Amino acid sequence: MEVLDDIKAAKEVISALLKAKKSFRMYPENNPMYAKIIDDTYLKFKNFFDYKEELTLKLKQNEIYCDLEQIYYSTQKEDNLALFFFKDGLREITFKNGFAKKELEDFLKILTVDYDREVLDDDVVTLMWEKDFHNVKYVVDESFLVEDENYETGAVQDVKGKATGGDDLARAYSDAFEEHGVKEISIVPLTDKDLHILVKEIEKDGNEKTSKIITIIFEMLYQAENKSEYEDTVHFLTDAIDFSIRHGNLESVIDIMMRTKEIVDSPQVSGEIKKYLNLVFSFAASDSVIKLLGEFFDSGVEIDDKILNEYIKFLDKSAIKPFITILGDLKTIPARKHIINALITLGKKDIQSVASGLYDSRWYVVRNIIYVLGKIGDKQAVDYLLRTVNHSDIRVRKEVIKALGELGTAGVLQTLKECLDDPEVQIRTSAARSLGNIHSTAAKGILLQKLSGKNFIKKDFNEKKEFYEVLSHWKDNDVVEFIMAAIKKKSFFKRAMNDETKACAIYALGLIGNKDVLPLLQKVKDSNNRIIREYAYTAVKRIEYGQ
Amino acid sequence: MASKEAVFSGAKDLINQLSVVIRTSYIHSPGNIAIITATDKFISMINPLVTSEGELTLELGGEFFYLNETRIRYPLEYLSNFDFLSREFRKRELGSIVFKGVPKGLDMQDFFKAFMASVFSQTPFETLSEDISTIDSLGIGRLRKVRDENIEGNADIRRVVKKAYFNAVSFTRGVINRIKSGERVGIRKAKRIVESMVDMVLEQEQLLLAMTSIKDYDDYTYYHSVNVSILSVALGQRLGLSKKALTELGLVSLFHDIGKIEIPLEILNKPTNFTNEEWKLVKKHPFWGVRAILRLQGFDYMAVRTAICAFEHHMNYDFLGYPRLRSPIELDFYSKIITLADQYDGMTSSRVYSRVPMSPDTALSIMMERAGSQLDPVLFKFFINMVGVFPVGTLVMLDTRELGLVQQSEPVFLDRPRVVVIMNNRGEKIEGKVVDLTERDPDGKFLRTIVKTMDPNKYRINLADYML
Repeated sequence: MEVLDDIKAAKEVISALLKAKKSFRMYPENNPMYAKIIDDTYLKFKNFFDYKEELTLKLKQNEIYCDLEQIYYSTQKEDNLALFFFKDGLREITFKNGFAKKELEDFLKILTVDYDREVLDDDVVTLMWEKDFHNVKYVVDESFLVEDENYETGAVQDVKGKATGGDDLARAYSDAFEEHGVKEISIVPLTDKDLHILVKEIEKDGNEKTSKIITIIFEMLYQAENKSEYEDTVHFLTDAIDFSIRHGNLESVIDIMMRTKEIVDSPQVSGEIKKYLNLVFSFAASDSVIKLLGEFFDSGVEIDDKILNEYIKFLDKSAIKPFITILGDLKTIPARKHIINALITLGKKDIQSVASGLYDSRWYVVRNIIYVLGKIGDKQAVDYLLRTVNHSDIRVRKEVIKALGELGTAGVLQTLKECLDDPEVQIRTSAARSLGNIHSTAAKGILLQKLSGKNFIKKDFNEKKEFYEVLSHWKDNDVVEFIMAAIKKKSFFKRAMNDETKACAIYALGLIGNKDVLPLLQKVKDSNNRIIREYAYTAVKRIEYGQ
Repeated sequence: MASKEAVFSGAKDLINQLSVVIRTSYIHSPGNIAIITATDKFISMINPLVTSEGELTLELGGEFFYLNETRIRYPLEYLSNFDFLSREFRKRELGSIVFKGVPKGLDMQDFFKAFMASVFSQTPFETLSEDISTIDSLGIGRLRKVRDENIEGNADIRRVVKKAYFNAVSFTRGVINRIKSGERVGIRKAKRIVESMVDMVLEQEQLLLAMTSIKDYDDYTYYHSVNVSILSVALGQRLGLSKKALTELGLVSLFHDIGKIEIPLEILNKPTNFTNEEWKLVKKHPFWGVRAILRLQGFDYMAVRTAICAFEHHMNYDFLGYPRLRSPIELDFYSKIITLADQYDGMTSSRVYSRVPMSPDTALSIMMERAGSQLDPVLFKFFINMVGVFPVGTLVMLDTRELGLVQQSEPVFLDRPRVVVIMNNRGEKIEGKVVDLTERDPDGKFLRTIVKTMDPNKYRINLADYML
């Protein structure tokens, strides 16, 4: 039998909906495929409306009918379009001619919600109801909502059983001729001012409610009388922290912590209560909360550093480990920066916990931890840092050498000195820079010793230049004299290498900026060696003109 | 043809402009430039719609305007103009204006002239109809009291409303019992129940409000919860809240008293006054409400909102209720609505400690005194306009010497409700006679008018006998 054109068109609508159900959510709204799916499906609806004004789909558990014709059948549990609607009570859907693209888009969004995965309080019917489609009507079987089939009958019988006595009615009738007249309750006119107040109130109603519920929970805390009430309120506060962080509302978390601290600090509050309240702080520093915080940072939302710092201030040292854990999991640089800053603040409370991150298997985590330890600036960190100087990853080693330089205790000098002989040039130059950062006499001594070594001239030009540049940080006479001696030094062998070294020394003199060295520099400006000439020229200019 | 959306989106502005023309006509004489300008603007708005739709019917049905059968939604700032226009329609018993073709400027000017003049007629609708009979592009229809109503259909609707109401009560009973036994309660089903209540409020507000007027059930807690929810949603609807917001409000208000499950039944059902200690316990139910909701529902937007309202519904507009707080807060908008609904339903219900409830009009009088102190005065204005001058369940004596109960407020004529007559003019008990106080005799005089209101509870009149 030939299939009628309208039934054929209805089947095509179903096919388009099935196709959309599979792929619609895969694309963001600005993706051309997203628009294409809508366009394709819309076209199928439009085709149908060429035949009829309304498309009514009768829904059964496994079938969909249009005009008594079965146009869909599936016995599957997953991806069963009929069951998808049927399970929430939908029994019929009608699309009217005029069904707009925007309505279709909204309908497809409902169709493609992952109801199992997404935490939703809404089912298909609720979502359709909320959309309030102009051109989609539906019939719902609400029998599954009925708790007790016989409730209505019982309640009506019961209440009607309290029958009115005839005598009372007669009395009412006779009293009606004696009682007072109509009570004066009139319709109250609404003024423009009333409406204005109301509009403002409704606008305000959109404000977030978390701060209000926090105030209420604290009121509950103030009025709590027993252990169970304290436990409950503390539990609600931790729930509020979790909720707030999930919604990126750090202000509310700070509010909770601040109020909790006020109570904990109050001398009137008993130790027992303080014990409960401290659970709020431990929760805020817990793995789960810090993980949520990391996800929030990674979401790309811009975070006010002031607010973040305020929050971190309330955390205790137990937050350090969870922070280190998530440090390696974060995807974005800004997120990691936030965590690093948090660790710098928190690390001051417990260096040892931060240092435990040095044993992390991920090199970048170790590097970040070294950076954190360096920035904390506590000399205690040196012992931990020294253990990572021989890390397998050069990037880590560079970072630790830098950190050692920033901490600058006497204990690091020997290590830095050893690093000056490292096979890796990057390590050697990092160590030299760190010595420069330390800027002590001992550090200077190590550097001068290195520069005086017979093998120094064999080093690469850039490395030598780097060493001399570091040396120029000391503007002492002995340094100037050492450099001048190096420039004046005559050699017959390895002349090219020597000239390179002299150029580096000239460069250092320029950086020091001492005018007393100008005659020497003027002299070497006429050197036969091109590099020496160029460097001398630049150094003179720098000293004379500060360029 | 313009899309339906385009028609609907411009409709609210059209009504607004129609209202502006009529307001202007009250100030200026016909032919004044201000009227002509306003009329021209109206024409420029309506013509594209008439062109695209072919014929356009603007109809007043109940309290809403419909354009070609579709209800026109409007923002709150248009409310006063919408109200004004519906009053002007009612004054003339005008139900609809039909634009059969594109009206010309002069046609519309003639129409507004006739419209303004008709108000002075004893039979305004007939006068207007006659005066505009020469304008081909326009027609009018008489005001219908309830859209598409017939007796059989009405009975069906009543059955549906009744079913939805008892279903909600039965569901609430189930939920509260599950909460009492410590079970976690899903919100999806509750939402569906509330959605169907919201639908009923939007379509059959008066019938659903009538269901809340029967207060003699034994399960006070469950009926009260549902009644407060219905009254809150109905008030929210008057305030122009969206369907989504109405569902929220309905859900939040359904659980406003959930904290009472912690109060021992022997105290809750005590027939005598509470002792100080008992009062102290009762006053804790807002705290317990928050606790129950957050414990069972976890911490999400709806739970937070519900908890806030459960906490605040006795705090009062002036904050002199309970609980009293250390730090000041602003009352939630929904809490203010729920307080009104809660007080009204509480006062008009039969309770263990007060078997004889107040009559609806007495309760309203008391609430009127509380407006500005316990109750938000602006919201109260909306509330009183919603329940009507003669709320459902009010016992009334008519000028025909018939005694009756208000069965349904009439949204068009607020002081002329439908009344179920329970005693005829000879003082004999009768059944099944419902009269409409807007009915007139051929001379245009009303057939029946309320002359007295009385307290049905004083005479132990069982509203269920007449309302269910």
